Amino acid sequence: MQAGGDRELQAKNYLEKHRIMELLNYLTSALLFFRPEKPREYLISILERLRIAKITGVAFPFFMDHSNIVSMFEMMDTSEKGTISFARYREGLKTLGLLNEDEVLKDDGHVITLEKFRSEVNKRTEKIWSAF
Amino acid sequence: MDATTAPHHIPPEMPQYGETYHVFELMQNMLEQLLIRQPKDPIPFLISHLQQDSDNVPKIVILGPPASGKTTIAMWLCKHLSSNLVMVEDLIARKFSSLAEVARKHYQKMKKLSSTLLIKLIQERLKEEDCIRRGWILDGIPETREQALMIQTLGITPRHVIVLSAPDTVLIERNLGKRIDPQTREIYHTTFDWPSESEIRNRLMVPGGISELETARKLLEYHRNIIRILPAYPKILKVINADQPCVDVFYQALTYVQTNHRSNAPFTPRVLLCGPVGCGKSLQAALLAQKYGLVNVHCGQLLKEAVADESKFGELIQPYFQKEMAVPDSIIMKVLSQRLSQQDSIQKGWVLHGFPKDLDQAHMLNSLGFQPNRVFFLNVPFDSVIERLTLRRIDPVTGERYHLMYKPPPTMEIKARLLQNPKDTEEQVKLKMDLFYRNSLELEEFYKHAIILNADQDPYTVFEYIESGIINPLPKKVP
Repeated sequence: MQAGGDRELQAKNYLEKHRIMELLNYLTSALLFFRPEKPREYLISILERLRIAKITGVAFPFFMDHSNIVSMFEMMDTSEKGTISFARYREGLKTLGLLNEDEVLKDDGHVITLEKFRSEVNKRTEKIWSAF
Repeated sequence: MDATTAPHHIPPEMPQYGETYHVFELMQNMLEQLLIRQPKDPIPFLISHLQQDSDNVPKIVILGPPASGKTTIAMWLCKHLSSNLVMVEDLIARKFSSLAEVARKHYQKMKKLSSTLLIKLIQERLKEEDCIRRGWILDGIPETREQALMIQTLGITPRHVIVLSAPDTVLIERNLGKRIDPQTREIYHTTFDWPSESEIRNRLMVPGGISELETARKLLEYHRNIIRILPAYPKILKVINADQPCVDVFYQALTYVQTNHRSNAPFTPRVLLCGPVGCGKSLQAALLAQKYGLVNVHCGQLLKEAVADESKFGELIQPYFQKEMAVPDSIIMKVLSQRLSQQDSIQKGWVLHGFPKDLDQAHMLNSLGFQPNRVFFLNVPFDSVIERLTLRRIDPVTGERYHLMYKPPPTMEIKARLLQNPKDTEEQVKLKMDLFYRNSLELEEFYKHAIILNADQDPYTVFEYIESGIINPLPKKVP
């Protein structure tokens, strides 16, 4: 039984090291959002672009570009104050898949502005993609 | 952005796309391959995996005692599915492999092949281009639990495992009549499968090792081993009785390997129940709605509700009700699409009955984007329908509904005052059934993946059939 446990641990480590789950989540979201006629070819094209991006060091076109982040912020900021509460900020990060489940965010008492939200989203996305 | 104040509305196109293209299974296969091979560079690995497109090729293992017909079934399956057959003798006889050379020398000395050598040969064979593209069928491998485990550690996983079984006496007797054609290597039998051409008959040879004693010995070893191999393939195993005509065994095996296994893909049932009046559609729909939380959409009921609510649709519909004419399709479509696009139908799924009645309505349903993903045709013979409907009665005093055969009224007093609904007279029923049958052929052609059921049984049996049709993936039709 020890051998079984080791292999399982090994597999888990492999998944985390290469960020496989994030990659698969991204691929699935892309498929469901763009709904191409030929899913396999589409997936191959995304993976090719990823591979080239990694080799040449060019920034990979992220899912959430600037305008998307702004619209999302505006959706959360229902009272149009220009800031969102900490709870909403946390929920937003979780929806984007950028927050690990057991991660605890520090609430420093200030409300979150658009700038802070955007920089946080970009920072986390960078971290994920740098693993590829 | 919490779920109660601003719930996420997933547009229905997404789950529909996911179901049509089997996105979940695609991703699951990719993850499986990644975990088995654990390549250092996952992205190029995934690219080549997707390009191979070998998710749905046959990967079958056929096991069984000697004389059960394994090789015959394996050969027929190969021909039918255009796949590759892998047998021990073939592996040893391969020409361009150094491993096979070693195996041949070993075999000559010991008359048996060691497990490690065999598994290495299999690995080599399965890596070849044609096995990747067209799949493989292993005949009689693995022979022991040790081999089964070794195959598993190498990452070779079959998707279907068939085990043939028959009583020992039958097998011993059968083996005595075994004959082999040395040219085509097909196996014939003196009693069950005698070739019709005389030139084949003249060629046939008696293979070695078929005496009763030999067969009994092989059977003993087989039984010892198989019992320990079976637990290695828990969900993909099927045992087929080999003590029946070859064609029957083949037919069962073929249907099995063409069914996909249930996966964990998210699935919202959108069920359509079709059938003549009195086949039990409403009852089955109510049972489904109750058990699975689906939204029960009865077209006629929907229209009546609209009239009762005096909504703007209701006002449009009411004149048709008053004149007892059929409501035009365009109005029905509007009412239906309003109901089916509500949040609860999209989220929980729906079961629709009483619509569509003909091909035009079916086309309209499709064009609105509400394609059902399971369609059932409930067949009932005319006499059963008459029996079910014309014997319905209602008690005007208590409002209780009775059936003169299935739920008779308890006392003579009640029986005397029972009334029949004028819609349940024999002429009316005949009229409605004719109407249905005129259109049913077109509907059956339109819904190619429909499942046809015999609804002339008790409701719970029919319900179980419907359930298994919904839960299991749709069978692939043979092209």
